[in-house]
Amino acid sequence: MKIQVIYTGRGYQLAELLPDELELDDAAGVGDALRLLAKRLPADVRLPDTCLISVSGQHLGTLAQHNSVRLRDGDELTLIAPVAGG
Amino acid sequence: MPDLTPDELERYSRQIGPGVLSLDGQQRLRCSTALVTRAGGMGGPAALMLAMAGVGRLIVAHGGHLISPDLNRQVLGSEQGLGKPRAAEFAAYLRGMNRFVQVEPLDYEPDDDQALELAARCDVILSCPPTFEERLRLNRAAVITGTPLIDAAQWGMTGTLIVVRPGETACLECVYPAPPPFEELFPVVGAISSATGSLAALEAIKILSQTGRPLWGRMFTYDGYHGRATAVQLQRRPQCPRCGAAARGA
Ligand SMILES: [Zn+2]
Repeated sequence: MKIQVIYTGRGYQLAELLPDELELDDAAGVGDALRLLAKRLPADVRLPDTCLISVSGQHLGTLAQHNSVRLRDGDELTLIAPVAGG
Repeated sequence: MPDLTPDELERYSRQIGPGVLSLDGQQRLRCSTALVTRAGGMGGPAALMLAMAGVGRLIVAHGGHLISPDLNRQVLGSEQGLGKPRAAEFAAYLRGMNRFVQVEPLDYEPDDDQALELAARCDVILSCPPTFEERLRLNRAAVITGTPLIDAAQWGMTGTLIVVRPGETACLECVYPAPPPFEELFPVVGAISSATGSLAALEAIKILSQTGRPLWGRMFTYDGYHGRATAVQLQRRPQCPRCGAAARGA
């Protein structure tokens, strides 16, 4: 299956280092997708632990602490690094 | 509710009618109090839109003196105001835009007790500060007093809104179990902070006037750099120390 990937929020330029689309096994879960994304980054770059994670608009928690769900073809995995500027 | 005067009806005539506010809604705005803290890149445009829309009382909190880098986004400031206390400058600007509203400037950022006292006497809180510490303080005050909270934040060319209905939808501590890192000199383009502040004001106007569908429990993000918008339905955390079962004594 294929899912879409969106990275936004603080440091949204990181999106340039990530694929817009991921190809995964049909049984893959959100954890599998996140591990695959982490591997695509240079060794000295990490996704922030406080990133909000959602799948097709449903909030799962943060990168450090989130519910695991099975993914479906066409899902949209969104990572939002928290922003606080005023 | 007291009737709007003919002068007020004339002022607000373009925002009363089908698809916008009802007459009752406009009167509710006039009887409402909104707290905006702080009133810089986002809170400034938010406070301006609330004042122009006719929110009866605005409490505007912002400490310090206006400096040159503020003027790439702080629309309530001006060249003439450089070096002067921000709160008084901002309040004067707001009063100059609408004689029908009351503006209460606070030249400091509220501490825990002050935030609680302010939340108890307002109908909505617009949280627009540059630190998570202040955002979480306003969230705490909102949850304890049951006051709706609109959290507006930005970074670079991206803005986010979270709209909290305490006790019913996720609060900020549900979303951020651990405070994210603080960045003092975050990048900001005035156009995104102004847009985000205006959207925050729109949510406040909807909530106060009971118009349309507020973004209750949702996080809306506009990534201007990439030109895309996302909306996430936020989940409450049962173990949230602020609004979860333990916090409620359940
Ligand atoms: Zn909570």
